[in-house]
Amino acid sequence: MNWLNFQKPQRYLDSEWNVIKKKHRGKIKVAICFPDLYEVGMSNLGLRILYAMFNEFNDIVCERVFFPGLDLGDYLEKRKKRLFSLESKLPLSSFDVIGFNLSYELNFTNFLYMLKLGGVPLRGEERKKIILLGGGISNPEPLAEFVDVFFLGEFEEKIAKFVSILRKYKDKESRLRALAEIEGFYVPKFYHVEVKGRDYYFFKKYKYAHLPLKKIYVKDLNSVYYPVNWLTPHTEIVHDRVQIEIARGCPNRCYFCQARCFYYPYREKKVEKILKIMEAVYKSSGYENFSLLALSASDYSHIEELIEEAEGLFNKEKVGISLPSLRVEDLVSRLYKKLLKVKKTSLTLAIEAGTPQLRERINKRIDVDTFLEAKEILKSLNLRHIKLYFMFGLPGEGEQDLISIGELVRKIAKELNMRLHVSINVFVPKPFSLFQDLAMEPEDVLYKKRELLLKTLKRRNIKLSISNIKQRIIEAVLSRGDRRLSRVIYRAFLKGAKFDSYTEHFNWRLWEEAFREEELDYRWYLSSFVNNFSWSHINWRG
Amino acid sequence: MDKRFKIKVTIRKEGIMRYFSQLDLVRILERALRRTQLPIFFTQGFNPRAKMSFNKALKLGEKGEIEVIFYFRERVDKELLRIKLSKNLPKGIRLRNIEIVNG
Ligand code: SF4
Repeated sequence: MNWLNFQKPQRYLDSEWNVIKKKHRGKIKVAICFPDLYEVGMSNLGLRILYAMFNEFNDIVCERVFFPGLDLGDYLEKRKKRLFSLESKLPLSSFDVIGFNLSYELNFTNFLYMLKLGGVPLRGEERKKIILLGGGISNPEPLAEFVDVFFLGEFEEKIAKFVSILRKYKDKESRLRALAEIEGFYVPKFYHVEVKGRDYYFFKKYKYAHLPLKKIYVKDLNSVYYPVNWLTPHTEIVHDRVQIEIARGCPNRCYFCQARCFYYPYREKKVEKILKIMEAVYKSSGYENFSLLALSASDYSHIEELIEEAEGLFNKEKVGISLPSLRVEDLVSRLYKKLLKVKKTSLTLAIEAGTPQLRERINKRIDVDTFLEAKEILKSLNLRHIKLYFMFGLPGEGEQDLISIGELVRKIAKELNMRLHVSINVFVPKPFSLFQDLAMEPEDVLYKKRELLLKTLKRRNIKLSISNIKQRIIEAVLSRGDRRLSRVIYRAFLKGAKFDSYTEHFNWRLWEEAFREEELDYRWYLSSFVNNFSWSHINWRG
Repeated sequence: MDKRFKIKVTIRKEGIMRYFSQLDLVRILERALRRTQLPIFFTQGFNPRAKMSFNKALKLGEKGEIEVIFYFRERVDKELLRIKLSKNLPKGIRLRNIEIVNG
């Protein structure tokens, strides 16, 4: 293959430092697939953990498969070649178990495209091998026709169990039955779902399957496996730093947030443990940038100590340390001195709503005034830019709330005299958030609000990105959907939908046609639910 | 007086490494150097990088030899660098020659 014919050929080569290569003979072959490009997938901590953990078993070989660039995808299709794994370049179809790390609804069509390119039948019933899916999807129902097993929660906890079942049972049906009996494994074909009006009814078809389904989580973060032999790419990836997890979950209760429930409960890792991991990863990788990962790093109990110690660890080696999720008031008051030594290139602030009243309504704790008062401090941090996040279409939102977003952003830009990246997203009432039963704002209203925001925010020093409404609607429908959507997704895919998460590739018409042909109204999924949801059989709070 | 200790290393880029750009090569060498745990000299400023200079850049897809000068904060033994570096270079980058520039 002449790799020079493809854009960024580095994506498909397997020479990363710490890559694991094993002989295939006599081993159970597991593929871990990621439905986005290499540079995105390699920024995913979950994928790295599972890759390393699977390969710790002597009788398992685990390799990675990423979504190909469009040029390679076309090439493979035309030449009737199959999508392959990075390590051995063997086709996806030659693996015994296909694992997917899927975290985003707008990657559903990519998921199907990868199976097709890899020569794997799309529907569960047409296949002899197991497709196991995990990641960040909290409502798996729309994929029920394609996926054999969903893992609910943190797979580290059950990977050994999973492997033991692969060893013990060789045919698919016995594997699925054995898995369904274990908590955390959801095998959709063992359940029957009925929709009557706006209500869902769930029945078991296999008596040892669990109902309701419970998620699995790691109790003690200090004893959890960490991939210290950090897979180090030779080319730039999206988040080009080592991710060091310091906590999982979030103690806050923002009403719109899905992550707090998905990653519930809140757990912390000890400072000594974090430092040990950092040291080991640096030795094995030589990575020049580290990032301390948590949904809300400010809530980490020993954050000051941690920053100080981490900085001291790499004093001579000039390793950059970044903290992506600090609260502003902490940043400018108690942590400011410590942060001066730490390399920070950008600062991200999720303000979410324009007025304090609306912020209170969605329970978002953020102190915007403190932030503005601390402009001298912020200037001294040498930031390249500041990113601000907002939402629109929130419950109870009025025109003034939107106008205030513009005013606030312009004020920040003026006071700090700094380039701002402003990102404004349409609010989606996501499953398992405290707002899950709300309806989404009607489309025509969203369009008007979007216009208003555009008008007030088009400024030279502001880089604005604002949701594509149709794209967000499909995301909302897929996240709130039920099993009937499997067919819609399949149709959209046949029509050529892929890369739906990239605005330039998203094609609303394909989805609209797919819904029409299946005689389903997508709006149905966007109105409010009263009694229960298509995801009511799953309990993410554990 | 230039207190930095310089070593000129000749490497050969071949195999799949041909598909990695000059920018990638800088990243690959810096990380390899960091893994050796030797006292690297870093550039000043807000984004310190391991200082190195190249005699040329190869085109994407081209194989061949490049000379690169590594900078250290203090004296580094040539043999030690050879042993440590060859253990830390990825497949497709071969160490051909090491020469002390000042010292
Ligand atoms: S939005 Fe952030 S801070 Fe709020 S609950 Fe979710 S993860 Fe926590």
